[in-house]
Amino acid sequence: MDVTPKYKGSFVKPLKALSHLFREPVTLPMVPRPASDNYRGFHVNDWELCVGCGTCRQICDNAAIRMIHIPGLPDDPAAGLKPRRPAIDYGRCCWCALCVDICPTGSLALSREYVHVSPDMNTYFILPDEKGIHGLNFPKGWAKTDDADLLDLARQPMPQRDPDSRGDNFDEIVHGYDDQAAILEASRCIQCGMCHEACPANMHAPEYIRAIWEGDKERAVREIYRTNPFPEVCGRVCTHRCETACSIGKRGAPIAIRWLKRHAMAALDDERVRTIALEGKVEDRTGKSVAVIGSGPAGLTAAFDLAKLGHAVTVFEAKPEPGGMMRYGIPEYRLPYDRLDADIAVIRAAGVDIRCDSPVGPDLPMDKLRDDFDAVMLATGLGAGRSTRVPGTDHPDVKSAVALLDAITRGESIDVPGRAVVIGGGNVAFDIARSLARLQRKTSGRVDMTLVALEERDHMLADEEEVVEAREEGVVVLNGRGPRQVVLAGPSDKTLGGLETVRCLSIFDEEGRFHPKYDDGDVMLHEADMVIEAIGQASDTGYLGEDLTEALEWARGRIEVGADGATSVSGLWAAGDMVEGPDVIHAVAAGHRVAESIHRFLGGGTTTLEAAE
Amino acid sequence: MSSQHGEGHVSAKDRLARMKSLEEILNTAMAFEKTAQTFYEQLAGRVRKPLRELVAELAAEEKRHYELFEAARDHPETEAHIRERIAVPVNDHRFSDYVHMPALGDHPDDQAILQYAMGREHAAHEHYADLAESAPEGPLKELFKFLSDEELRHKGDLEKRYYEIVHSGGV
Ligand SMILES: Cc1cc2nc3c(=O)[nH]c(=O)nc-3n(C[C@H](O)[C@H](O)[C@H](O)COP(=O)(O)OP(=O)(O)OC[C@H]3O[C@@H](n4cnc5c(N)ncnc54)[C@H](O)[C@@H]3O)c2cc1C
Repeated sequence: MDVTPKYKGSFVKPLKALSHLFREPVTLPMVPRPASDNYRGFHVNDWELCVGCGTCRQICDNAAIRMIHIPGLPDDPAAGLKPRRPAIDYGRCCWCALCVDICPTGSLALSREYVHVSPDMNTYFILPDEKGIHGLNFPKGWAKTDDADLLDLARQPMPQRDPDSRGDNFDEIVHGYDDQAAILEASRCIQCGMCHEACPANMHAPEYIRAIWEGDKERAVREIYRTNPFPEVCGRVCTHRCETACSIGKRGAPIAIRWLKRHAMAALDDERVRTIALEGKVEDRTGKSVAVIGSGPAGLTAAFDLAKLGHAVTVFEAKPEPGGMMRYGIPEYRLPYDRLDADIAVIRAAGVDIRCDSPVGPDLPMDKLRDDFDAVMLATGLGAGRSTRVPGTDHPDVKSAVALLDAITRGESIDVPGRAVVIGGGNVAFDIARSLARLQRKTSGRVDMTLVALEERDHMLADEEEVVEAREEGVVVLNGRGPRQVVLAGPSDKTLGGLETVRCLSIFDEEGRFHPKYDDGDVMLHEADMVIEAIGQASDTGYLGEDLTEALEWARGRIEVGADGATSVSGLWAAGDMVEGPDVIHAVAAGHRVAESIHRFLGGGTTTLEAAE
Repeated sequence: MSSQHGEGHVSAKDRLARMKSLEEILNTAMAFEKTAQTFYEQLAGRVRKPLRELVAELAAEEKRHYELFEAARDHPETEAHIRERIAVPVNDHRFSDYVHMPALGDHPDDQAILQYAMGREHAAHEHYADLAESAPEGPLKELFKFLSDEELRHKGDLEKRYYEIVHSGGV
């Protein structure tokens, strides 16, 4: 550009400018001053601790946080891990640090770094890790402290019977939350939704917890029934995968989601629950019929869904009462029968015809069912007890846990052994040990019950509360012992003498395979009048008949099914423990999938109950 | 586990009695694999379909082992050693037990089959490991070593399966 000479200034100007060359500069290079200990500078996030729950995003009023999917990070809904991390938009962030105060894991903090200058706007949107915005490892500024933690990490205690008042009866142990405890417990929830994804049935736990917190129990029950027709059962005995995934559980006690469900159900009378549960039921009949074999949670869930969708559903059950293992396995002190009955009454009210004492088999063959019904579902569970088959287990006083539990439910008279040993370390083992201990106390006033488990104390398969409560009730739990043989009382005495066990040094090999190693020098004899095996169960599929057994595809001894529970034989589905397991909530989830698939098969399109609502 | 042949108190006569020619050993091992294969194949025809896959798998495994032995026996290098006498493992009797058809009854269930198979794989693993130590360098030594590892791996797989099948149900 040309400049007129008039504006070029004096000819000495360049010399003048030269004279400035050696002066102290007025503008100093920017060296930030150290920030205070609690400074709210740029975010840092410990990716190892962060679980990707997104609570930070939810609390941010400025919408400054977005959750970014990061391929390769652990993606495990059951463990409460999502492969995403928060990214901060510093055009929006006001450094209030609520995200830090709410962060359930404590992974997020603000650092003492506060300088960032760049003409590139994109650099103000960052995905912080533990090194900070420029990878400089600035120390933390505002971070989680007990004072500033917005979370309540302690759970509301569940009132329950003490060992003295529960040891000789089958009354339910827990009393349930009152309204205040329930609201306080619900108020701890941060609504992150990790529970929803961890639940095999994807229960809407955040929604019903919020409803409980707002005091709206009807809404809570409605939310519960969207995905689970066994809320009374699951409110008591669910394996609560939701709680394992709960973000609050990363530093504190997870929300008592199971107990909150129990509370919501207890707040409404059965009639009201029924009305809510049947909302959305299709009144027009489809004219199609479905047979379900087995009235456990898998079969009854599918039956309930299908009946609500307008199909005629008949359930055939071999035992005198419906419910499967929920009735004939789980003891009443954990799940009172009248509460199971309440759930089942709702299912019956939906129009499901449950026919008990109707075993499918020689008198009611599969062929007939397949002829008479448009679709058939198998949900016959794992009813037979497994044996260790160590020497002596063929003795008549060696019993299977499931057979004994069944007899107790039926109210059959049992020769209560004065002394008993249970083999097994899972919940079934504890169920039978605690049930028999109750009968022992009732009949003789004393408990002599030993439970031997292969696992060490801190690797027990059973829930911690089972172990603690069993001990309180007088059950002696011996860990790290494997059964060697059942012995007789004497050389010429055929009565049972007890169980010999040997110390188990390890159960699994380096690659995690079942390979127990024993120390033969450490053998113990546990004197007993009865030995009970509670190591596992098997299914009995003999009722299928030879032709159908041949026609079906099998994998690893179980009927092969697709993701929707359909078998390789058209018109036949299978679900629950007999194909997958291992608990009620998985059976419920599988029941839904089968119902959806059968509904489609019967021409119902893709309508699901959730979508229909 | 290492074998204890020829050590300490074992007399020279005993030691001699515990020596067998490679040919004998090979024949026993092949009989061992063949019996199992035949047993599983016959069983596959008797068990219900849910178990057939397991039994067929077991039969195929034994067949493969038998064929490996056949190939090793016919290998030119083997010819040179076939009459050599080498120490027989101490667990020989247990191994030999499995050369006979097992008595599992007419309708064994999954647990009985797996227990038998695991016991067999265990005996075979130990036996082949010991033979691998005593056998002269060459294809036979390699084969025993390979089979010993195979049997161990397979036993591990069966144990995992056993645990999944037997220790299932309830939570
Ligand atoms: C002692 C014990 C305690 C447990 N505790 C818990 C717990 O606390 N929490 C939890 O979530 N899970 C628990 N479980 C597991 C849970 O009960 C099962 O996972 C669940 O019941 C499986 O459901 P299902 O519908 O597949 O089969 P099941 O509940 O086993 O029902 C199958 C039904 O089919 C019937 N049947 C079988 N054969 C025939 C036939 N030929 N004709 C007609 N009917 C037939 C049976 O009589 C039975 O009623 C426990 C299990 C046991 C054994």
